[in-house]
Amino acid sequence: MLLPLLSAATLLLTPSLAVFQDEAFHIDYHFALLGAPKESTTFFHQPNPASKASLIYTLSEEGALGAVNPRDGSLVWRQLLQGQHQSNASFLRAGEGQDLVVSGSLNQVAAWSAEDGRLAWRTATDGVLRDVEILELSDGKEMVGAKDAVALSGSHGAQSSVVRLDGATGAVKWTYEFDGSDEAYQVSASSTHIYAILLHKTLLGYLRIRVVSLDPVTGKKIDEYMLSSENELATADTIVSVGANSASPIIAWTDAAHSTLKVNVVGSKAISSFTIDQHAGETVARVQVHAPYHINSLSHFLVHYETATSHWADVFHVDVNNGKVTKAYSLPKLAGKGAFSTSTSDANVYFTRITRDELSTVSSASHGILGRWPVTSFGVVSGIGEVIEPVHAVSEVSVKGDAVSAIRTVVLLSTGDWILLRGGTATWNRPEILASTVAATFAMPAEVEAFAERLQAEASSNPVSAYVQRLTRHIAELKDLPALLVSFPQRVVNGFLGTSEDDLASDNFGFHQIITCATRNGRMLALDAGNPNRILWNRQVADLKKEQAWNPRLASSKGGEVTINSQAGTGFRYNISNGEQLVSILPVDVEGDAKAAREVRFTMTDSALDATVDSKPAWHFSPASGQTIHSLVPRPVNDPVASIGKVLGDRRVLYKYLDPNLALLVTKSSLTLGPSNTATFYVLNTVSGAILHASTHNDIDLTSPIATLISENWLAYSFTSAASATAPKGQQLVIGELFESLVPNDRGPLTGNQNYSSTISTPEPYTLTHTYQIPEAISKLAVTRTKQGITSRQLLALLPDSGAIVGIPYNALNPRRPVGRDATKDEQAEGLLRYNPVLEFDPKWLLSHQREVLGLEEVVTSPALIESTSLVFAWGLDVFGTKISPSFSFDILGRDFNKFQMLGTVAALGVLTFVVAPLVTRKQVDQRWKFL
Amino acid sequence: MFSLRALALALCVSLATAARLTVSIPASALLPNPATLPPSTHAVLVGPPGVRYDAPIRRDSTFLFPALPAASYLLTLHSRDYAFPPLRIDVSSAPAESPQQQPMHAWQTFRGNEWANKGPSYGAGHGELHVHVQASSPKDFYQSRGGFNLMGFVKSPMILMGIVSAAMIFGMPYVMENMDPETKAEFEEMQSKSPITGSGGAANQIQNFDLAGWMAGKTADTGASAGGGGKKK
Repeated sequence: MLLPLLSAATLLLTPSLAVFQDEAFHIDYHFALLGAPKESTTFFHQPNPASKASLIYTLSEEGALGAVNPRDGSLVWRQLLQGQHQSNASFLRAGEGQDLVVSGSLNQVAAWSAEDGRLAWRTATDGVLRDVEILELSDGKEMVGAKDAVALSGSHGAQSSVVRLDGATGAVKWTYEFDGSDEAYQVSASSTHIYAILLHKTLLGYLRIRVVSLDPVTGKKIDEYMLSSENELATADTIVSVGANSASPIIAWTDAAHSTLKVNVVGSKAISSFTIDQHAGETVARVQVHAPYHINSLSHFLVHYETATSHWADVFHVDVNNGKVTKAYSLPKLAGKGAFSTSTSDANVYFTRITRDELSTVSSASHGILGRWPVTSFGVVSGIGEVIEPVHAVSEVSVKGDAVSAIRTVVLLSTGDWILLRGGTATWNRPEILASTVAATFAMPAEVEAFAERLQAEASSNPVSAYVQRLTRHIAELKDLPALLVSFPQRVVNGFLGTSEDDLASDNFGFHQIITCATRNGRMLALDAGNPNRILWNRQVADLKKEQAWNPRLASSKGGEVTINSQAGTGFRYNISNGEQLVSILPVDVEGDAKAAREVRFTMTDSALDATVDSKPAWHFSPASGQTIHSLVPRPVNDPVASIGKVLGDRRVLYKYLDPNLALLVTKSSLTLGPSNTATFYVLNTVSGAILHASTHNDIDLTSPIATLISENWLAYSFTSAASATAPKGQQLVIGELFESLVPNDRGPLTGNQNYSSTISTPEPYTLTHTYQIPEAISKLAVTRTKQGITSRQLLALLPDSGAIVGIPYNALNPRRPVGRDATKDEQAEGLLRYNPVLEFDPKWLLSHQREVLGLEEVVTSPALIESTSLVFAWGLDVFGTKISPSFSFDILGRDFNKFQMLGTVAALGVLTFVVAPLVTRKQVDQRWKFL
Repeated sequence: MFSLRALALALCVSLATAARLTVSIPASALLPNPATLPPSTHAVLVGPPGVRYDAPIRRDSTFLFPALPAASYLLTLHSRDYAFPPLRIDVSSAPAESPQQQPMHAWQTFRGNEWANKGPSYGAGHGELHVHVQASSPKDFYQSRGGFNLMGFVKSPMILMGIVSAAMIFGMPYVMENMDPETKAEFEEMQSKSPITGSGGAANQIQNFDLAGWMAGKTADTGASAGGGGKKK
């Protein structure tokens, strides 16, 4: 009864097209992430030789290169290197006193301006990169200008080569190609030689280390030898370290059982062997070497041993003159995991040890502790009972005399947070774990859902009982009155200053929904959409091996909990407010009638889609020959539609073709079969298998993303079309709307029907489509969702090229926009404009406005409790969320409501009344006396 | 995946030919200092299906595509702060006698038009081409609210009417007092005849309504004259 009225009201509202200046940065949130940093590619470095302040540079596991300000953890700049989510090795180096950082990934060596992240040069190598180093020559004459880079590359089974690249231009100075097909492993530069380390496979399948030394100036081979590693090396995994760019680079390896450590100083053939102490029968699980990374520093290194429950370390010294390695001292064994970092100051080397509760620094020369700081808290949240362990760390130490005067350490924790410790106190943290989010969902807190259900119950029952219910609710709420009265002044002040931060329980608008995210490494964490700067909890839910995928899917069926289904298991439920696992009792649906709900199951392969009803085959879809199925998107399960028709300008109605079983299926030419690049888009009825609409597009770039969406009675898809003389080249967005009939006030074959079944007869819809040329590719489409579907909709599109998310008002896309003529008065009343084939994305449509949101892959929306607002959450590398009101916030006072102005007006009117009242009385009295 | 393919393609091509395209952003009135563009600014060159090159901005505010195979490309520049026009770049096959001299040509292109519809030329070259692309407009992300504006408030007709009537209420007595007696008398005469405020006016009629008389069946005329009978003059 209220709905038609409300929808009439919303018709009058012009759609909101933009982000308001005063709402930007307040209603939206964004984590500009890099991903988990890798230890070997993270360092402190001065962005230019003149500056004293250094930045933290890192190249992460997600392939993002960036600089972070150590003061507050903010991102200075960032670049996405190719090869996101690929396990290829990537490298990042910076020469001492250089204003460039040199990265290497896939086959691209690139130098970036350290200060602002712009590209200096980029060079492609012949094979996949195996290592990149900066050449630090000490002969003096080449120290002017940019330092050169050396790159080792080699594809599997192909010839490996070393190139020297000019530091200023990236031009190749010389190339040395190795003979044979030995696998390239690493390159290492001392002050006089470049050493390339290759792995030679013996007949028995063991590896031998082959060292080739090259002249850095000419690129000619000086010497070559094999290290007698005997039968210890079965795989490259047990090579612990090949130190680079130090006065005497070393190679260290262990046998598979981690019982002996072998060390060779590169350049000599002597191998020193050390037995690894087996403490109390625990087997050493991991051995790491930490060595300084400066050519002028002392040649000391630290070996870090790790068992399942403890860790310790030995420090070794190398005699530069004779290449002898001696053990200097040991650091004691401690429980738990630890991390070591190496820092240098002039020639001195310092090792910093981070454990669960302490940070300590020693000099490489002696075991005396130079500084010790207790770490009470890392300042991050974790799961219940979980101990947070450091994974790896990088430090910057400044030493005065015999004590450390200041130390800054960036630590990656086992929770996936990247934090900075100044001394022993955590100053900032970056939740880099969110960069590996693979699934996310909104969930309503239990209290909020209970409140919403009570309101629903009141609205749907008869007036008397609704009144009684409301009265009892208000009486029950009276017990909160004292607390409310106490906090009332504060609330009023907050309300006026706009600083109110409501807690979860008092969220009457449904803005404080909880977003749970599952990450690639088997963790799950939760954010509050209304207060996103705080992570509520973060816990490990699946124990995964390295590189193992678990394909989690999250859903929230009921307030206060989230269900996770993955390859690790199905139906695990968690409490969203604290992350506690709920005891899984299979819910029995008492009211569910098994006969009424007939199950349709779908099996999709590349070449067919099969549906079975009650385990009997129902229908089969196979694409045209030479085509494969690309994707299938169904209509969202929760997709409320307020009105079954569209009201035209003259008050007649066009009936929408509404069917809950619609799906959009895309088939494309298989790349293996023929060069024709076509894609076909089908609208299917998933119960009957009927094809309701199909359109084919030729000359499509099938390697670029094809985004699809179906909702209500309309569909949208986007693709990139190739050039032809007569057709435009570029990205296109197609929108189609399905109607029961194109004649107003007519339902076509369904006229007079109350119900119909799609298994018996499927009336065909009348489809209107429009194609728009858009300025850039769309990688994913989504639509805003509101509680009752009354609010007009916005099509959300992820734009990977400009790092943005755009909300396109549906009216701008409407397939009923008149073509070739201006809109009539009736059409104008509906808000229809003349069709224009080009749809430029107005910058005001960008929900991400000024923010640069990189690497987004998915976007989800959720309705708030109030009709006007839809919550949006997008993830990928970055995480971005906002709330949008596509028809303005018609049911809530927004920031545009000026409380001071309102109060001022009331006060002014009051004053005016008091001033004018005596005047008016006097006038009236005077008049009486005058005229009577 | 496609970037890999493009890289592989770039690799094979770089051995044979090397059409080199440099795109630069010159300083203009709109964008006086291109060095202020964020490092995320990049140029995308979309060729035939599967071919796509992406070049980040360089320190001298240029984009470099070192080795392009013969094809027709769409060049788009993406920047957070400014919009740039799209360009069409054509690289033709090199003549046999000079394999390094691939003819290259750049035009402006228009979205939504057929690909053959080219705009003004942005330059041509052999084996190497340098194109200048000026920013076309700055991006404005925010809609400003129609906030409280005193002048706009005062200018609105309702408020103007209010001001005028307030001036009448407060100003009239002073004007009346300063009038010479004759004009005053004339004015009062006029006022008494006015239909609203005059003695026969609606306001007076309502105020002086003789309920008892009306109940007793007095006619409106006599009531009005009775009311009017009491006036001075």
